[in-house]
Amino acid sequence: MTDAGAPRRVLRPETPWQKGWRRLQALGIDGLLLALALVMGEFLFHAFSGERGPTGLLLTPEEILGRLAYLPALALGFAGALVWNLFYRSIGAPIGRVLTRGVPEEEADLPWTRTLRGWFGALFVELTFFTGWIITEVQLVTFLTNFNKASDMVRGLASPSGEVLREGLVLLVQTVFLAFMATAFAIPVAFALSFAAARNLTRGSATARILYSVVRAVMNFTRAVEPLVWALIFISWVGIGPFAGVLALWIHSVASLAKLYSEQIESIDRGPVEAITATGASYLQVLRYGVVPQVVPPFLSFTIYRWDINVRMSTIIGFVGGGGIGYILKPRVDLGEWGEVGTLVLLIAVAVWVMDLVSARIRERIV
Amino acid sequence: MSATPAPSGAREAVRVEGLSKVFPDGVRALDGVSLAVEEGEFLAVLGLSGSGKSTLLRCINRLIDPTEGRVWIFGREITAAQGRELRAIRAAIGMIFQQFNLVRRHSVLQNVLSGALGRSGLLSSLLLHFSDEERRRARACLERVGLEGREESRADALSGGQQQRVAVARALMQQARLVLADEPVASLDPALRHSVMRHIEALNREEGMTVLCSLHDLDLVQRYATRVVALKEGQLVFEGRPEAFDGDTFRRIYGHDAEPAAALAGGRA
Repeated sequence: MTDAGAPRRVLRPETPWQKGWRRLQALGIDGLLLALALVMGEFLFHAFSGERGPTGLLLTPEEILGRLAYLPALALGFAGALVWNLFYRSIGAPIGRVLTRGVPEEEADLPWTRTLRGWFGALFVELTFFTGWIITEVQLVTFLTNFNKASDMVRGLASPSGEVLREGLVLLVQTVFLAFMATAFAIPVAFALSFAAARNLTRGSATARILYSVVRAVMNFTRAVEPLVWALIFISWVGIGPFAGVLALWIHSVASLAKLYSEQIESIDRGPVEAITATGASYLQVLRYGVVPQVVPPFLSFTIYRWDINVRMSTIIGFVGGGGIGYILKPRVDLGEWGEVGTLVLLIAVAVWVMDLVSARIRERIV
Repeated sequence: MSATPAPSGAREAVRVEGLSKVFPDGVRALDGVSLAVEEGEFLAVLGLSGSGKSTLLRCINRLIDPTEGRVWIFGREITAAQGRELRAIRAAIGMIFQQFNLVRRHSVLQNVLSGALGRSGLLSSLLLHFSDEERRRARACLERVGLEGREESRADALSGGQQQRVAVARALMQQARLVLADEPVASLDPALRHSVMRHIEALNREEGMTVLCSLHDLDLVQRYATRVVALKEGQLVFEGRPEAFDGDTFRRIYGHDAEPAAALAGGRA
């Protein structure tokens, strides 16, 4: 068929308000980029100038960060952004304008080396890399020459002692079950939440949209808090032991699984949903017949993967008293019992490896 | 909410008045379409891709909400219905899709049974449970479309033509009085088109279901339809008997860009 019957597009001109908002966005992006570039330039200047502080020593990166001229850089950056956005026709469009309004026609076919924003972008990446190098105190020479100091530890790890094997195995079993219980408890909660957190199912009414935003916000917050922190909270709640670990991993798993599940729901084929809706089915029936059958296999696969992740995470949870093998690992690390640490690390490695293998096999079968 | 009775015609299956649809991206898919379909008709809806055929069919059972206009189904205004009443009207409208839209991981029988969802209890249907009476009826529907013995196969194990016949059985199971078919054979091998079209024709002739079927092959229109409407850019541009809609009419309406398809269809007409 030809495009003779292509639908007509009713053009909707941008309102002045929308136009102004886009310009403001462009200015904001360009201003921040320019200001950041200036600040990083100043940082590098200080770092390489050989300046000394009041103690007579070279300035540390933290000290330099403390004395940079942030406000003037911000003012200068925004002034520069304003000029760049005003005269973009003669000097080439800035990055913010391109991001919000698209590449102007006259620059559409230019390679990056022929545009001002291309050069600015390249300079910005360079500045970021060298600033990062100094801030994180990268020391390549030490890394390459100083291995002997760690060799004791590595040798200990490589010659595991049999003393903690029995205790380790027992706690390994606890670790696997801890991870399993956390995952099992997470499934129903995440499943229920995922429907509320799926965009395509929550367009219907204002209530649904609010529910979507609230669930998403809570999930994002919950996921952002490290399981380690959750473990500390639950340890003071239910006491030291594996149950605190189960709860910590549970709450983190709920958030992660709800996100993965809801993304899966968002990518389903609309077809069966339409077909079931057309039979006169109710909302819950549409979910049961049109949505659930499409998402069960990927849900299972994510869940098994999550169990796998939880086994790995529960080691760290144990460090702070959340049960599992991490609980006896921590004191041995502190005392430098590298042989015993080696045994425990090996046990964890074997468990993770087996879990990985099994979960990969099962996931292959399901999907 | 109470629906206003249709302005006229006791034997009307569908009445559409001033139907328009503008999508959020600004595309005007339907532009003031009005039409009436008598009970028992087999109406072909013709038009090029993007002319609004799918949108028209989806506005009739409210899979898409129209921007403007009203639609009556057997005298009940579906555009004014909400909740339970909307679902009750939908239950009387079967739908067949270009991409079959079966629940791929469910068995063939379960797919047919889903046609009965509109009259099933909520709790039992959420557990995928149906009465023996409904299961027997579903088997009979499968037999009607020649798929006996495939009840327990997974839907996606069937060929395209077979899947579309399951969709026909689903409409049969639904005991629909009106069937909307959106390009039902466009995804099928040309050799299989008539096998599916004949089953849709049987819904019309033997079950007395009114059929609205979008097509873009003139040959099929002239073989199966009792009346034709044609859409162009969301507007109704032709309405009449299939015999009156020949290759020349096609070219006149859709222009010379559409000539190859029209010439092919006209040549066989």
